[in-house]
Amino acid sequence: MMIEVIKGGLETSIQDYPGRIGFWNQGFPQSGPMDSWSFRLANLLVGNDVGVAGLECQLIGPSLKFTDDRVIAVTGANMSPTVNGVAVAMWQSIQVKSGDVLTLPFASSGARSYIAISGGIDSKPWLGSQSTFTKAGVGGITGYAIKDGDCLPLADKAEVIPCQVKPECMPALSKDKTWEIEVVAGPNDDWIDQAGQQRFLDIEWVLSAKSDRTGFRLDGPDWTFTNKAHNKAPEHGSEPSNIIDHGYPLGAINLAGQTPIILVSDGPSMGGFINPYTVISAAFWKLAQSRPGDRYRFKQVSVEEAQDLRRVLDKKCQMSSLTHLI
Amino acid sequence: MIYPEAKFSPGGDRYILVEFGNEMNLELNFLGQGLGAVIKQSTIKGVIETAPAFASILVYYDPDLIGYHDLVRELSSLINGLGSIEEIELPSRLFYLPCCYLDPWTRECVEDYQEKIHAKQLDPELVAELNGLSDVDELVRVHSGTEYWVASLGFWPGLPFMMPLDPRCRLTAPKYNPPRTWTPQGAVGMGGASTAIYPVSTPGGYQIFGRTPVPIWDTQASFPEFEQSICLFKPGDRVKFVPISEQEFIDIEKRVADKSYVYNVVDYQKFSVSQYKNWLNSIDTDKRF
Repeated sequence: MMIEVIKGGLETSIQDYPGRIGFWNQGFPQSGPMDSWSFRLANLLVGNDVGVAGLECQLIGPSLKFTDDRVIAVTGANMSPTVNGVAVAMWQSIQVKSGDVLTLPFASSGARSYIAISGGIDSKPWLGSQSTFTKAGVGGITGYAIKDGDCLPLADKAEVIPCQVKPECMPALSKDKTWEIEVVAGPNDDWIDQAGQQRFLDIEWVLSAKSDRTGFRLDGPDWTFTNKAHNKAPEHGSEPSNIIDHGYPLGAINLAGQTPIILVSDGPSMGGFINPYTVISAAFWKLAQSRPGDRYRFKQVSVEEAQDLRRVLDKKCQMSSLTHLI
Repeated sequence: MIYPEAKFSPGGDRYILVEFGNEMNLELNFLGQGLGAVIKQSTIKGVIETAPAFASILVYYDPDLIGYHDLVRELSSLINGLGSIEEIELPSRLFYLPCCYLDPWTRECVEDYQEKIHAKQLDPELVAELNGLSDVDELVRVHSGTEYWVASLGFWPGLPFMMPLDPRCRLTAPKYNPPRTWTPQGAVGMGGASTAIYPVSTPGGYQIFGRTPVPIWDTQASFPEFEQSICLFKPGDRVKFVPISEQEFIDIEKRVADKSYVYNVVDYQKFSVSQYKNWLNSIDTDKRF
């Protein structure tokens, strides 16, 4: 009733969805899977509820040995999964037997894969969630990424009818390393002048290698500000991007000095830099599947459009997205 | 100033920022914390959780349960119903926290930043100069001369955002551009007029000039102070930094390691807003402490 970790991979972590809720006012980020679209579908393929704890793999996946018969599924980035060295399909239920070894060598496209197991991983929740927040060493089994030799306990498995995801319900990974990312202006867009806002939307931003589950740093031109940013009470701090510390939305494009950092799943909850734009929840999977060097073009949408896109995406994370395997 | 009406701004499809003003004072903080408390008791559907800060509160909601404009309307009505701040009296613990100012560890961190990321003046010298202080020793006297009000927790688990209660000790500083990639655990620093303590080694943007050997968060609950929460502080607590030498830092660090350290906390005090305001009126706030 467990998984033996033969190789941990680059940074494979236990996550559940939506993550750790209710401790934001103590500074805890939500955590949870970065691409919750692929994560939720993986769970449905193995007969779990969408939020059950599974594994998020980054760029180089793990090697896992099963100690009982299970149904598993691999979704997200294409890591060419094999069972006992034989290629297996992604986006569908896979039967594994006791002693079988699942290996995800590396991502040939996309950046993050998800592994769901029927029943789910049965680690002890910490503050209400099994999600690993490695920077603070909490959640998961040890608080950190899984490593060689770890044992991941599994919950009782459920009956599973083998399924696959309809092609039109899968996220379409970028083929040319360019992503269109939807953003809503605010909460601090009035600190950036018209030219600065135009520049943000017009140019392509490059994802820096200095990016992880706390923040995605972007390379691009300098920003220009409104009078508000230059003439303000000293308690904001004297740099134009400085503000009296306030809460940060998940997905905020946080302007730290001149460097925009998109605050993602394990990002800080609060701080003293402005956030001119916020990436919408329905675009998070694109951040999750992009790699350093990829280019972002930001597209502004209204709050209502963003909420509609969220509903469209949520509809794709339901049983109706699956068809039975014959 | 305190805005005549709260300002609402969207944060993507599931957050609303509510700002009560654009300065740092106790009243604005009470509005943020107060709204957070009444949201918790209210029956508004769709609010998931909140993050109150110095002069604002960020509200996290489920757009499938409530729309942006409906939530703004509900929040406005809760804000209008908030009671008078003057009458607030609340329990407030006072923590005496040892702090080794001008310590070698934060200095090493700043020098590492100077070398690898960006040339800048050393943090204590920069803060002293920008605030018209004669030298870094005066910075230590002024910074440790007041009690700090824990306005909120955030950025990182357990990190307190604090403001000086004595206006004569008020200092301001720019935040790093770009931020540091690491900060020593326990570093004490400031940005804007806010002072913070870094609970663990994290990136950071505040100017740093001191370090406490005492843990302010603890997942293992090694000390009785962490039995209720892994975070030492809660909003409404106060902190007074007690300057210590490098030798004392090392001694306390040892006592923390063998669990014999005893936190110096006064926990039976009440903080009264009207009394605080009376005291503010009795002092010359233009003077430097």
